[in-house]
Amino acid sequence: MEKSRRYAKSHEWARLEDDGSVTVGISAYAVEALTDLVFMQLPDVGATVTAGESFGEIESVKAVSDLYAPISGKVVAANTDLPSQLETLGSDPYGSGWVIRVQPDSVEQLDELMNQEAYDKLIGGG
Amino acid sequence: MNLSGSSKASPNNKQRIDLHVWRDPPAAGGWNMAADEALARQAEETNQVLMRLYGWRPHTLSLGSFQRSGDFFETPEVAHLPVVRRPSGGGAIIHGTDLTYGLAVPGCHDWSRGTEKLYAAVHGALAEELCERHLGARMMEATNRESDQSFYCFNRRAFGDLVIEDTAGTSLHGNHKILGSAQRRLAGVVLQHGSLLLHRNPNVQGEGSHMGLGDVLEARSGSVNDVVDGWLHRVADRLNGELIVESGSSYEKKDRDISSRTERYESEAWLHRR
Repeated sequence: MEKSRRYAKSHEWARLEDDGSVTVGISAYAVEALTDLVFMQLPDVGATVTAGESFGEIESVKAVSDLYAPISGKVVAANTDLPSQLETLGSDPYGSGWVIRVQPDSVEQLDELMNQEAYDKLIGGG
Repeated sequence: MNLSGSSKASPNNKQRIDLHVWRDPPAAGGWNMAADEALARQAEETNQVLMRLYGWRPHTLSLGSFQRSGDFFETPEVAHLPVVRRPSGGGAIIHGTDLTYGLAVPGCHDWSRGTEKLYAAVHGALAEELCERHLGARMMEATNRESDQSFYCFNRRAFGDLVIEDTAGTSLHGNHKILGSAQRRLAGVVLQHGSLLLHRNPNVQGEGSHMGLGDVLEARSGSVNDVVDGWLHRVADRLNGELIVESGSSYEKKDRDISSRTERYESEAWLHRR
């Protein structure tokens, strides 16, 4: 299984870690598109998330958007510093701006997500 | 998250798409929120741009999706009002002397991409209409993060807000905000809520008291209804389509569905989610 980032059409990214968990975050493109972020709601550790379904919400000055899980599994960690440091999403979206870590039901689900090239094509196309 | 709508094959922004509008009777907060949600689902299913205009009975305060419910109960000037939490963001709005709209745009349409296009289309259309009627109206360009934290929507100033110049010098901002909107971006559809203030609410004092469009319209500028009609036509023009004013209410034959959705919006869990 390739350990590079994979992307959902809904702009969340997922990365397989050495311990078998999957880190989930929001792409830099999406963070920039959302503009001024004001609030974020994260799931509790232990919650179950389902691929394609909402696991949290994020509010910018003018819009509330759902965050969609790119993979199914159990939440094993949530970046609880993030809601009070939302600027981290913009400054380091693929590092300290991670959102949750999931113990996946099946890592094969990652294969259904886009690779970097495909995602670049998606956002390049508008 | 939904930034660019769904991937359904569908009309693009060059194609004609009509604006379907219902003028619904005034209703309570939970029902209104549920009817907007149902409208959004209908827009997603039909790939149509749908809009409902409505009032509120009784007068009600709506909180933004993530405002603290405690802030409402600690605000004496409004604590006597019924309260409902919106699915959309933004600040608190006192409804009763405003015209509220719910506009649902399917993810296939260009207006659903990003947040600003939809604001520009809807608010820009009203600004045009007002300017033609000799009112100094404009959309705010810059965001003032400090004022964004005000409890009331109409005390905030953010990009896209529609303001009228304050010629009498009665506003701390130098202008009067008369239309504020906020979005809920769902999978496959964007729901934009907005409130057009029509008149100052006589039952509200203090920071929650705001001037409305009808308070500043001069006789030569026409009536509020004239402005709203002109506004809707301009929104339809921007869609390259027709304005289709539907008869009846937007929720005819959907009473059971909306009653079910209403339960959520009237629940304590939803109100106190934050």
